[in-house]
Amino acid sequence: MDFDVIVIGSGHAGVEACHASAKLGLKTLLLTLNLDSISFLACNPSIGGTAKGHLVCEIDALGGLMGVVADQNTIQRRMLNSSKGAAVQSLRAQIDKITYHTSMKQILEKQPNLAIIQGEASEIIVEDNRVIGVKTAQGNIYNCKACVVATGVYLNSRIIIGDYTKDCGPNGFANASHLTQSLINLGFEIKRFKTGTPVRVHGDSIDYSKLEIQKGEDDIQNFSFITKKSPKNVVDCYLTYTNKNTHKIILDNLDKAPMYTGLITGEGPRYCPSIETKVVRFADKDRHQLFLEPEALSTKEVYIQGFSTSMPSYIQQDMVHSLEGLENAHIMRDAYAIEYDAIESTQLFPTLESKEIKGLFCAGQVNGTSGYEEAAAQGIIAGINAAKHVKNEEKIVLTRDSSYIGVLIDDLVTKGTNEPYRMMTSRAEYRLHLRQDNADLRLTEIGRKIGLVDDKRYKIYKKRIKDLEMIKKLLDLRFGIKSVYAKMFESKGETFSSSGMTIRDMIRRANITIKDVVDCDTTLFDKFSIQDLKEIEIQEKYSGYLTRQEIQINQSKKSENIQLNSDFDYSTIKGLRIEAQQKLNKIKPLTLGQASRISGVSPADIAVLMVYLKSTKK
Amino acid sequence: MVEDTICAISTPMGVGGISIVRMSGKDSLLLAEKIFRNSKTKVSDFEPRKLYLGTLQTENFNEKCLMVYFKAPNSYTGEDMVEFQCHGGVKLAEGVLKELVKNGARIADGGEFTKRAFLDGKLSLDEAEGVIDVINSESDSQIRAGYNLMQGKLKSKVSEVQGKLTDCLAKLEVSMDYPEEELEEETKIDIIKELSDVKIELEKLLSTSSTGLSIKNGTKLVIVGKTNVGKSSLMNALLNYDRAIVTDIKGTTRDILEENFEYKGVKFILTDTAGIRESDDIVENIGINKAKKSINDADLILFVVDTSEKLTKEDEEILNLLKNKENVLVIYNKIDLDCKIDKKDIPFKNIMEISAKNEKNILELKEKIYDTIFDQNIMSAPIMLTNMRHIDIISKSRDLTNIAINTAKNDINLDLLSIDIKNIWLKIGEITGETEVEEIINTIFSKFCVGK
Repeated sequence: MDFDVIVIGSGHAGVEACHASAKLGLKTLLLTLNLDSISFLACNPSIGGTAKGHLVCEIDALGGLMGVVADQNTIQRRMLNSSKGAAVQSLRAQIDKITYHTSMKQILEKQPNLAIIQGEASEIIVEDNRVIGVKTAQGNIYNCKACVVATGVYLNSRIIIGDYTKDCGPNGFANASHLTQSLINLGFEIKRFKTGTPVRVHGDSIDYSKLEIQKGEDDIQNFSFITKKSPKNVVDCYLTYTNKNTHKIILDNLDKAPMYTGLITGEGPRYCPSIETKVVRFADKDRHQLFLEPEALSTKEVYIQGFSTSMPSYIQQDMVHSLEGLENAHIMRDAYAIEYDAIESTQLFPTLESKEIKGLFCAGQVNGTSGYEEAAAQGIIAGINAAKHVKNEEKIVLTRDSSYIGVLIDDLVTKGTNEPYRMMTSRAEYRLHLRQDNADLRLTEIGRKIGLVDDKRYKIYKKRIKDLEMIKKLLDLRFGIKSVYAKMFESKGETFSSSGMTIRDMIRRANITIKDVVDCDTTLFDKFSIQDLKEIEIQEKYSGYLTRQEIQINQSKKSENIQLNSDFDYSTIKGLRIEAQQKLNKIKPLTLGQASRISGVSPADIAVLMVYLKSTKK
Repeated sequence: MVEDTICAISTPMGVGGISIVRMSGKDSLLLAEKIFRNSKTKVSDFEPRKLYLGTLQTENFNEKCLMVYFKAPNSYTGEDMVEFQCHGGVKLAEGVLKELVKNGARIADGGEFTKRAFLDGKLSLDEAEGVIDVINSESDSQIRAGYNLMQGKLKSKVSEVQGKLTDCLAKLEVSMDYPEEELEEETKIDIIKELSDVKIELEKLLSTSSTGLSIKNGTKLVIVGKTNVGKSSLMNALLNYDRAIVTDIKGTTRDILEENFEYKGVKFILTDTAGIRESDDIVENIGINKAKKSINDADLILFVVDTSEKLTKEDEEILNLLKNKENVLVIYNKIDLDCKIDKKDIPFKNIMEISAKNEKNILELKEKIYDTIFDQNIMSAPIMLTNMRHIDIISKSRDLTNIAINTAKNDINLDLLSIDIKNIWLKIGEITGETEVEEIINTIFSKFCVGK
């Protein structure tokens, strides 16, 4: 069978990749180990969170799937950091993991140009350094012009519970045992990473009466800019804590913990430590916070966030029973650690294409990231660029000042990672510009140009642009009835100037929100949505900082716009230090800006490089 | 494209006939107008590529010099540029530079003019080759031992200050990246306190900048010794010419003689003192008092001893004067004659044997002086700011710290406060070279127990 693009793997990266490719008109195959694992939430039953919520909004703005499907299957949600500033506000939603899977599967089944086949990819067939097809372990050969490897944590994976190990993927799904060798044969360097997941307990066996409840929030932003009906909060989460007894059980049994016996050799993430790691490394903390999260509406299973472990099963029982409210909890699934193969991400271009094999793209956890959102973000870019590769069009690279997606991919391919990479807001130097609320303003036009943003989404975007313009015009108005505003100012602890205050002046005050102003005269803004009003408020309140950051962005653009030839041999440059030559030859940066971010390349090296670039152009 | 205006001294540091101070950036002419006056033409009406004579006004002096304006894109960098051609001397050029910084220019990073030139497509192949040599030779000059030691010490101090900011940022960032964790809430009061500490450290550093610069602009050597041990001959040997009157009559050198010489690119200010001895001669007595003062001001004291004569009471008086001083280099002169002293009587470890008259071991003496200054003196000296670019960075960091303190006091959102603190962190990083955000993230994970 002939395809334009084959996507290997149906996790969060794979589904975005195959959807993007098919939607761009390419004949696409989604090859998956198991149809029942499409978009499976193998770890926590939630999407979003700090920086991750930003990624979901960006995927949505480009025309991806995750935001829409997450909104459809949200059962509880909260806006994190609401008091800490607009830039870091992040949506986090509990997701029904069962319906999330079925919704996504249905969307893909209906997608024109997309075939879905269950099978284990065993070899990527390459001719003249160009992908020409994929072979399966079952003996089928599918021809293609481009391939996206989105195999997640399934390459040679094994799970570990105490001294029990099993070669399989997450949740007992079969793993992929052939493809790593094929990747090695193609020149990929393979790393061994590790992550883990906590126990699932039966909800009826939890004594919620002892626990602190955590409710969802209403009237907050959605993941998707085209979601019309905001999701409702239909479940609650609960909080519990580890205690001295829990810690004693863990410390007494460290000799049985695979993390400490040497059974686990993979590199684990610092930000996602197992509970035994937390107890050992932060011995002065007498408790650790845990969240109890329902997995889906149609099951009683409850996920204990913060309680990852690879202790033997019987010790897990003791550990869980030491927790308040879980004294009699019935464990349905054990916690486990999982080890898997990942590729060295610096072997990819910022387009996510391999530097060696044309038409071969990699996305998601196989690139060394962690998290559904990080995977999906790479998936959509890999899918777009695989399609562009087949169409022979220029591939896209999102810049660090455009999006978290740009920051994520640039970090991966320029710096690489020694542990599963998690997105954090502190990684984005232009964080103030890269907010959830303006993801559509940043990326919808780009998505439209690519061809993923359909008319429906584009119309919604255009209407928003128009509304925002109208609100901005209203800001120059002076207040109506003076006394009403004066009173509002007083109640907010701000001093009111009775002469010459515009609405803009008012909302630039630290303690005055646009809602306060709207409430003073409801007739003025009644036709606008609260999201749009808030958007303008943020733009105004942050205008000083935003302008300064814009200057920095413009300064960096100069070197971002200078393109480098990826075939160039840097060892021919006299005056460049050997370390810099080696690093540049390894990373093969596409722009001068990217070159300057390689660790081990100094500003003096960049100066030398610039000088030579100029001389070779002549 | 928005670029700030940069400035630098373009001529080599040290002694020279003229110094050129250069500026590049869109505000170059505007800045020049603030400090330069020509009797006939307004600066804003200057014709490009034409030399104008005029007066450059700075806080401390007025300098009659030439100015030339290059209009974009016809300049080295392709931006608007202004050059001042002043009289020679580091102090003067630095004064001009200071004035430019005061008016809003920024001191250029190494290679920044070239970088701009390249970005504007202004560099030819020949020039390009030349510039690489400059970049490489710059790093050669930095290998100089003494300079490196001093820089290393400054860097570690500055790193320490940056470390405080890293901790501060990590606390803020962790609370934003891990809002659901049970973390001790960092109060604004704590942050204000930490920032105030940083500010104090930066101000301390800044207060050393004038002494630091003076070491860089000239290391003070003073020659002491009883009358007629050959101090003047030594001075002449070091300077390579007859400056002091050399006679055999004791007390010939009556006043302080001050001269400069350069060795390995470092300027030494050499002071010869009147032979220290009790004298009834009023003129000579004034000289002796001045000599005592010079000893206290000196970076290194060269104590000359005549080995051809036994130690006298005068030698012992000088020894008494030098008691408790560590910055002493003993010079045994007249080693071509028989040695009649017991060297055990001179309790200093740092020794050099010469014959000033025959110019024996003079080069070795210079080397010894250089090593002593840069190995011992600098290591034991307090940290000093000696580099105009560093002073500029520290002073801007201090200003940014003030801004951040105000932001914290005004109860502004954390995402904005973190930008203000990160700005200081990045500015200081221009000295330490540490501007990798990964450093903050590492601190987060090493100090806080976060993650699900």
